[in-house]
Amino acid sequence: MSPKPTPPGQAPLYETISSVLRHNIRSGRLPDGFVLIEGPIAKLMQTSRAPVQASLRMLNAEGLIHRFRGRGYLVGDGQTNPAPIRRPLEEFGFEIPHISRSALAVRGTWQRVYDKVEAEIASCQIFGEFRVIETELANHLGVSRTVARDVLSRLNERGLIRKGATSHWLAGPLTARTLREKFELRSIMEPAALIQAADHIDHAQIVEISQQIDSGKVKDSAELDDALMRLCFERAPNSALVEIISNNRLLLSAMDKALSDLGLPEDPVAQDQYRILFELIGSRQTDAATAYLKEHLRILSFKSLARLKIVALIPESESRPPYLIPVH
Amino acid sequence: MNRLASPPHKKRRLLRVRGTDVTLLAQVRNMAVADLGFDIEHESLDFLTCQHRAAVDPQGYDIYEQCFHNLDIVWYWGALQPIQTDRITQWDDIGDLAKAGGISKYTWHGHGDAPMRKLYVQPDGTLGPHPMSTISMLPTAHNVDSFGFDRRLFGDEGPEGSSWAWLLDRRARGRIALVDEPAIGIFDAALAAEANGDLTFQDIGNMTVDEIDSLMALLETLRQQGFFVGSWLSPDEAEAFIQADRVSVQSMWSPSYGNLGEMTGIFRESVPREGYRAWHGGASLARHLTGAKLDMAYEYLNWWLTGPAGALMARQGHYMTNSKGVREYLSPEEWGYWYDGDPARCDLKGPDGRIVVRTGQRRPGGAYRERVSRIALWNTVMDEYNYAARAWKRFIRSLGSPAS
Repeated sequence: MSPKPTPPGQAPLYETISSVLRHNIRSGRLPDGFVLIEGPIAKLMQTSRAPVQASLRMLNAEGLIHRFRGRGYLVGDGQTNPAPIRRPLEEFGFEIPHISRSALAVRGTWQRVYDKVEAEIASCQIFGEFRVIETELANHLGVSRTVARDVLSRLNERGLIRKGATSHWLAGPLTARTLREKFELRSIMEPAALIQAADHIDHAQIVEISQQIDSGKVKDSAELDDALMRLCFERAPNSALVEIISNNRLLLSAMDKALSDLGLPEDPVAQDQYRILFELIGSRQTDAATAYLKEHLRILSFKSLARLKIVALIPESESRPPYLIPVH
Repeated sequence: MNRLASPPHKKRRLLRVRGTDVTLLAQVRNMAVADLGFDIEHESLDFLTCQHRAAVDPQGYDIYEQCFHNLDIVWYWGALQPIQTDRITQWDDIGDLAKAGGISKYTWHGHGDAPMRKLYVQPDGTLGPHPMSTISMLPTAHNVDSFGFDRRLFGDEGPEGSSWAWLLDRRARGRIALVDEPAIGIFDAALAAEANGDLTFQDIGNMTVDEIDSLMALLETLRQQGFFVGSWLSPDEAEAFIQADRVSVQSMWSPSYGNLGEMTGIFRESVPREGYRAWHGGASLARHLTGAKLDMAYEYLNWWLTGPAGALMARQGHYMTNSKGVREYLSPEEWGYWYDGDPARCDLKGPDGRIVVRTGQRRPGGAYRERVSRIALWNTVMDEYNYAARAWKRFIRSLGSPAS
């Protein structure tokens, strides 16, 4: 029996990314000394950062790229000592071969399916505890149980579901205790990430967001919080830390979204806090920014506890997806 | 101004008040209209509907009259605006129970949401106990509640008083009712479960998820054993349970004891040895108020503290935050019974003119100071309110079906 060829989109994503990078390095498109950073690669290939990380580690082990004193990896085996080239990938005619492109496109579909399930599972948790039924999920999505299991294990990795005592997948409930714990984690990790990121933050972007706040263009707290993540914390070189921070925020933003969908008005005090925070970061007062961030998180935590009480007014949606069964 | 162009009769100004039947009495409105010279529209709703509508429909009212404990919902929704205390004429006469957390620094202030913890608007927009020049809600009517019991089953209380344990007493199996509202009913049940030794709470005013689970499991067991006859949403439903002789013990609020008809004297207000469950009401300003409408709203808030409204509140058993002002509007007999805990020297009438207290009766629990010194906990919207309220709602719904 000959082994079946793996259909596009079924190979692990990091394999596909690795083969694209390998192709571009071996063909000489990316010269020695080119700096590879996860974010731009992920963006170009429309994936999340985790598989890019895995693929870079793989290429590093293969000796195609190597670590250096800065952020990311350098193309080359590290024998010579080329000056780091920090340029956009596109400028070097970066190419995604057709076969990989379709694999990524299938992956793109997977990503959309995943994103939908993630949103549904994150937002149900304010209503209580639910069992996630794998077969129902597969039926609901029209995918195989293998794919459904894939989705579930990713959700598990991101901390959105867990295995119960009887081996069932469980989600929720999002309680005041969960909320308090998540904010405790935020106030430990986010200031640490801000310190690490200080030298990697693009100050032009911080100036821009500050101007947008001042001119009233950006009012939405969720958007500002997202900017803080994107422009500051994600610049921290420790990508594992960045990932934990991002996962830890998932449930919190799901709750915020549920509340703003209800028409909860914006909090002007919070807007003002983001304004000050970006000002401190922009003027490179890292210690002050870190201290202010902690205080901001303390107040945010207190307000979120109060907002969680408001959730009690939201009736549980009639349109709950069929793969979620309430545990009472 | 062109006088000819003015309408034939001027439309009267209107202030819209949304609240519950605790303070939205027709008699209060009539007096306020007479004193203030503008119309007042009352929209009286049950507790949960009221807080929900206050939050999601902030344009639909000018004044919100509710309890401090639900400010967590309505304030953080952004539906209200801060009240400037320098525009409250009698601010200095407002009692320490609201302002300082208790009538004396030596008394225990009670678990849960003492009004002071939600009173002052802090600089970061949250509510807290540190005195500030703006407040969330003007404190007005308040009271301490317990449960009502049938003397034919439990006998008289004796010198030690009753115990919250009676509310889940096996002797009353099949004849127990609880109040529907989660920020209130759950505490009646919790006080009972702790008093009878079934459960202990580390902080009964802010239960953990595990404690809520244990309480709900206990209630479910008792439900299956047929303990409960049902729940009530409005006080007249509680009174109907008693008049139909369907309950031996249940959650009860003060005004109901004057409406028991033939069951008066048989069904009594308890003085639990563990202490009372307290609440504090007040009035808040809707966020949208400005200019002349805001001035009217302040006039109305100030009117609440002038005395007549407090006298009406007293006649249904509720206290007012500035009792001095109230005293002028009560007869010495009324003041003696309701505030001082003296035996009634004559029959006393309720707000609607019917006799609610007979000569010789004495208010259970005694004088104001005695009663409010014995607060076990306050009606509270706990941190885990979302979790608790959903569990409580399922339990209340299950009471509707026959016990298995």
